[in-house]
Amino acid sequence: MNSTLADAVDGTAGSPAGSETRIPSLPPGRVLLTLVRREFWEHRYLWLAPVVIAALLALSPLIGHGALQLPPFGAAESRVALSTLVQWGLWVPLCVVMGFCLSYYLLDCLYAERKDRSILFWKSLPVSDALTVGSKVLVAVALVPLGVFVLALVTHLLFSTILNLRFTIGNEPLLIFNFVQWLRTEVTLFLVLLLAVLWYAPWGAYLLGISAFARRSPFLWATLPLVLAPLLERMVLGTHYLWSFINYRNYGMWAKLGIGHGNGHIFSHDHVRPFGVLLDDLDFRGAFTDLDLWLGVAVTVALVFLAIRIRARRDDTAW
Amino acid sequence: MTAAIEARGLTKSYGATRALDAVSFAVEPGRIVGLIGPNGAGKTTALKAILGLTTFEGELSVLGLDPRRRRDALMREVCFIADVAVLPRWLRVAQAITYCEGVHPRFDRRRAEEFLRKTDIRPTSRVRELSKGMVTQLHLALTMAIDARLLVLDEPTLGLDLLYRRKFYDALLNDYFDKQRTILLTTHQVEEVENLFTDVIFINHGRVVLAESVENLGSRYQQLTLAGEQVPRGRALHPFYEREIFGRVAMLFEGRSAAELGALGELRTPSIADLFVAKMQERAST
Repeated sequence: MNSTLADAVDGTAGSPAGSETRIPSLPPGRVLLTLVRREFWEHRYLWLAPVVIAALLALSPLIGHGALQLPPFGAAESRVALSTLVQWGLWVPLCVVMGFCLSYYLLDCLYAERKDRSILFWKSLPVSDALTVGSKVLVAVALVPLGVFVLALVTHLLFSTILNLRFTIGNEPLLIFNFVQWLRTEVTLFLVLLLAVLWYAPWGAYLLGISAFARRSPFLWATLPLVLAPLLERMVLGTHYLWSFINYRNYGMWAKLGIGHGNGHIFSHDHVRPFGVLLDDLDFRGAFTDLDLWLGVAVTVALVFLAIRIRARRDDTAW
Repeated sequence: MTAAIEARGLTKSYGATRALDAVSFAVEPGRIVGLIGPNGAGKTTALKAILGLTTFEGELSVLGLDPRRRRDALMREVCFIADVAVLPRWLRVAQAITYCEGVHPRFDRRRAEEFLRKTDIRPTSRVRELSKGMVTQLHLALTMAIDARLLVLDEPTLGLDLLYRRKFYDALLNDYFDKQRTILLTTHQVEEVENLFTDVIFINHGRVVLAESVENLGSRYQQLTLAGEQVPRGRALHPFYEREIFGRVAMLFEGRSAAELGALGELRTPSIADLFVAKMQERAST
């Protein structure tokens, strides 16, 4: 790494300039780590927004003053179930925030570098277009979802601890922590998150492609076709296949899991069930082996390749 | 020796305009080459092609690589600075250094930090907080810390004051340049750096007008200053450019001997700036 001028001279002096004396690149892992760090430097909302929301959620039981004594209610079993429902309830808003952040990120990341011309700086360094775009995909499909998952886990533990310190039933904690039920809930949430990442990946890649392609207003480029194309189809052909397709790619995942087909009821009129029962109720096997899911993943890969190609070829930066 | 850059029939069109029209030239290693041309001549397009930032037709080899297909490998040995501000505004100085260190095998952090210590730039500052001149200084610091074989500079000192420009070119010559490196430089301030060049390439309307080493310029081009009845005799020798200065006429000739011209008036080698102006006007009038 500590190359000196002498190295450079040794490296080239023996052979004519222009020959194949090549400088080896840095280990790809190190380069990738640097690229990922750069993404979080530039797009600070990717970690800032979830962390702020998580902190607000975790500290929300501090609102109000004094310890409360609630009248005894529910069996211990229900209070275990309640704990897992809180676990799920804290996970949902974090995932929604993540969805917004990632959509904005994917639509912005390749457009912003052309708009502020920093692409000329990034391209002046020995990083391929594939690795650059790859680092952005890695951030969106793996690092941020994993980070949010861990964040939700920590939020739940903090939230429950604070709540139980302040609110008690008799001398019993309000929420009862049961390791097995907790773990089953975490596994369920993880599988749903993993499925969601795979199912929504083509939308993300679509936004990434628009980001690489649009000369201006990527937001309009991304949204207008989705509104105008179905409208046009309806006016010209009188059909609504496109609209159904868009809807399917938005909500289809939940039907694959069997939600809305009588499965996955946690609440019933007389009691609540722990969230982890969804592990048995929902059709994860069916959802993960669904052809449309993997077709979507294939489309994602194709769109990412397209984005890489556009970034390598596009020359619309004023210089 | 294999050329550091070799272009053959390099052509690039933007719509109906030909930015580069079958341009051919070669840059030998260990040279400092001035690429000089008026605005819109095709300088930047040529640089972009060399750096793998644009598509083109024709053949181009840079350090033995095709920049269209091997930009990432090429950038391990090539550095460039564009004449527009390209450092992202959100980037912190320390982050810029960490980033370069993390992706470039030939980046020397100490060198960059040493360079920056001589400036007022603080490591915690964001690019958006720096003045225009400071941003240029930062970019130069990052670039000079890379041990590259080919350095491409497009108006590198734009927006810097004379004092800093002088310091920059001194550093470029004394600390950076050696026989292993090649520098390709464009600038509008030709007078200021003409002693720096070992070679010049004039480009206009997408074509190479002149490509010559500076040591050959003296034997190929002559500037004759003359007055009175000598003027028509000078014109008879077909100068390719003439201009009146305080009642005397300066004529530029190509390929005439000193013996032929010396008798008519004052003879000297034209400056690169004079030659450039002459060559551009010549093309405009033909």
